Amino acid sequence: MILRYIDGPEARFTLKDKIFVDMEFYHTGEVFKDMELRRMFPVSGKNKYIAVIDGDGNEQAMIRDISNLDEKSRKAVNDCLEEYYMMPRILKFTEMTDKFGIWMWTAITDKGEVKFEIRNHITAVKPLFDNRVLIKDANDNRYEIPDYTKLDKHSLKLITPNL
Amino acid sequence: MSFMSNIPLPDGILEKAKNILGEDNTLFAVVGDIKMDGSYGKSALVFGRDKVAAFDDAHENGYTSVDYEDIERAKVKRLYGNALFRVKLKDSGKDRLNPDGGNKNDNGGKWVNLIRFSYAAADMADAAAVFAETCRDEGYSDNLLEAVRSTYMKMRSFCPKCGRKLPSPDSPCFNCAGKGKMFSKLAKYVLPEKYNLIFCIILSAVTTGLSLMPTYITKIMVDDVLPNKDTEKLGKIIIFLILLYIVQYLLTGVRQYRLRCASDGIITGLKKDIFAKAQYLPMRFYDKSSTGSVINRVNSDTQTVKEFVMRISQEAIVQFFTMVGIVIIMFGIDWQLALLALCPIPLVVFISRRFRKMVSPKYRRLWRRSSAISTMLADSIPGIRVIKAFSNEKRVINKFERYCDEWRKEDQHTGMYAAIFPTLITFFVSCGSLLIWAVGGRWSVNGDYGVTAGILVSFISYAATFYNPVNFFANLSDSYANAIASAEKILDIIDAEPEHNFGAYKNDEPLQGKIEFKNVNFSFDRSKKVLSNINLTIEPGDIVGIVGTTGSGKSTLINLIMRYYDDYDGEILIDGKNIKDIDMGYYRSQIGFVQQEPLMFRDSVFNNIAYGCGDVHVEQVMHAAQIANAHTFISKMPDAYDTMLGERGVGLSGGEKQRVSIARAVLKNPGILIFDEATAAVDSETEFLIQGAIEKLIRGRTTIMIAHRLSTLRKANKIVVVDKGEIIECGAPDELLKRKGKYYKLVQIQSMSEQLLKEKQSENFE
Repeated sequence: MILRYIDGPEARFTLKDKIFVDMEFYHTGEVFKDMELRRMFPVSGKNKYIAVIDGDGNEQAMIRDISNLDEKSRKAVNDCLEEYYMMPRILKFTEMTDKFGIWMWTAITDKGEVKFEIRNHITAVKPLFDNRVLIKDANDNRYEIPDYTKLDKHSLKLITPNL
Repeated sequence: MSFMSNIPLPDGILEKAKNILGEDNTLFAVVGDIKMDGSYGKSALVFGRDKVAAFDDAHENGYTSVDYEDIERAKVKRLYGNALFRVKLKDSGKDRLNPDGGNKNDNGGKWVNLIRFSYAAADMADAAAVFAETCRDEGYSDNLLEAVRSTYMKMRSFCPKCGRKLPSPDSPCFNCAGKGKMFSKLAKYVLPEKYNLIFCIILSAVTTGLSLMPTYITKIMVDDVLPNKDTEKLGKIIIFLILLYIVQYLLTGVRQYRLRCASDGIITGLKKDIFAKAQYLPMRFYDKSSTGSVINRVNSDTQTVKEFVMRISQEAIVQFFTMVGIVIIMFGIDWQLALLALCPIPLVVFISRRFRKMVSPKYRRLWRRSSAISTMLADSIPGIRVIKAFSNEKRVINKFERYCDEWRKEDQHTGMYAAIFPTLITFFVSCGSLLIWAVGGRWSVNGDYGVTAGILVSFISYAATFYNPVNFFANLSDSYANAIASAEKILDIIDAEPEHNFGAYKNDEPLQGKIEFKNVNFSFDRSKKVLSNINLTIEPGDIVGIVGTTGSGKSTLINLIMRYYDDYDGEILIDGKNIKDIDMGYYRSQIGFVQQEPLMFRDSVFNNIAYGCGDVHVEQVMHAAQIANAHTFISKMPDAYDTMLGERGVGLSGGEKQRVSIARAVLKNPGILIFDEATAAVDSETEFLIQGAIEKLIRGRTTIMIAHRLSTLRKANKIVVVDKGEIIECGAPDELLKRKGKYYKLVQIQSMSEQLLKEKQSENFE
């Protein structure tokens, strides 16, 4: 199937029920209702290549770059993605206990305080080349440290041995 | 029955729920950890016999409730890193949400989000969704609650002491086991070598005693022999020292040999156990651990732990004896000087403890770097063909160099600490010697406290020897930190939960081959369900074709039958018996599994066919090869059945490897046969040969075949169509064709493409 790319404001998006959008093409008048949005690069490029998929999982279009959409659509798409993708940003680590490679971390995130468990630090903590760190806990929930070098001294001391 | 809740309900919620649902009508709760606005906080669903109450600040008055009879659908919508419990209300124009108050809007036909939660609560929420829908259809019964309870029990597998999640119910908690327990586990590998080790300790004590004598003799030489110019006594002392050295170094040689034997025994035991355990680890372990890190544990970590065990069991004891011996001698000669010599000890102990705290995390980082190198090796060397095919050598080399450089940087960083601290300790130790010179020298010059030149010289010598064990114990923390990091990795495998019930049940009855799936749900992780609500019955002797698009869940179905994954919801029965109640070894021996890419071992063709069959007669192997249409090509090879295959079957074509793997299945004589895309990777001619082999093999056996090419399934009497993890069609091929559903479409598409291919081919021939 040939992908239908959305390059600019040729399509309008309206948010629906927080995790869905309606997509309407100005020129053709086509309307796609109850679409879901998926980031193709949720780790390396959050705002580029957003797939628009229908209820059956079929891809109907691909947004090349959210910033090219008109303002209202951009907001709708961003709100929808924010609602769908929950990857709290860790701002600070307050406590870490570690025995036998099983950790219990307490962290302050942009969504509030959270306590989670890590089983295998080799696979669960993934440092990326740009100082970002992705963490996946024992329940498969995800967290992100946007730049671990910018953490406070105490947090840095806790996380560095595991990077 | 007690009230079930995945985590304790927030204060006051249960009372409110009782008000809404009725005093005796609260059965269980799903407690969410995320609020509807996406921030962390508590929310809850409390289920009763006829309705569910949802608590979240997003609802008017902080709660809402829905009658089951008003629910058209209840489902868990998995998002990224979180999930929603949603219900679709029946469309009849009336307010079905919160009928007791609050929202009075017309919400019929709409989806409503009740609560949000992280994946920690997803399993319980799934069970709750099924509960609500079934209650709506059939009314409440205790059996429905039991289904929720079984999910709840699976979730409740956490440590009663610290509350952490356990790998499986009733397994020991790693967190609550101390490091002492960790070493007691490793003691299992040391005990078989106890006689060797004890013998070596005795030899150590003797050689240590002998090594302390020359220093004392030095005092005699300085105080008696040299001032009196007693050459006769000097000669006797020299001869005595020669004999002493001969005995001392002879015993040291014997000790070193016996130590080597003991350490070999320890490391071999460890390696054998890790490898053996690795064979029984569930597939989930390998889904999450790289092969490189497992190899690293077998090779490098066992070595580190062994070295530490040897240091503790031997050197530590020797050094301890030396230290105690010297202290006794020093106090015997001069107690004032002895106290002076002990002055630096508190400083050394303090630095050593500080060092251990600082260096432990660095060794963990170092382990990561080293593991990354092993993983890269394990990936790239076996994949060398692909690397070459894509001319990717340079990129692979660059990546490897980067990993090596990172390791070097980390090792140098750790090395810096490892160098600075012992040097600092040695510095303070040397200061201790200077202290003896400064104070003891003055006493000797002034003739105070009876300190002679001989006493001073021997004291300096004893002090230098004394600081060796002090230094050793100070540096022990370095290897201790390193060994702890490695021991953790080793125990990660040794203590991991193995696949269940190998040898747990006695079962000699051959399987008839009736397979039943009952309400089976499965997901690899909590983020996405791979199989949903699978109900399927396969009768003995059935030939069942499983079709569906890529990623629809066909192979996962097979993985569950093979028991590669056991943690699914629902039941799979073979001949009416739950497969989890059948001995794993016996069970798998009853199934022949032919995969798309058959794995060949680095062994002869004969042994590859006879793999896993123990003592098998040559003619049985040849017969199996004949049935599999493999005999002809094997016999044409110069070394025939003795042909050695390279790694991964190098030397055979794809179709030949497939036929060898079919011969393997023939030899096993299984009751159930499974073919997972067995002919997908071969040409039409080879497919014909393989197909012929398969047809001979499947007679009278329950057979399950996954195939993209529907022509492969022409013998099938039942077709199962899987789509997005669900069975959407199931029945006889003709019946499904008449229904004109998904199977019909698949057949149409394939017929068209085959027709096109034929036309194209005929054009080319013309």
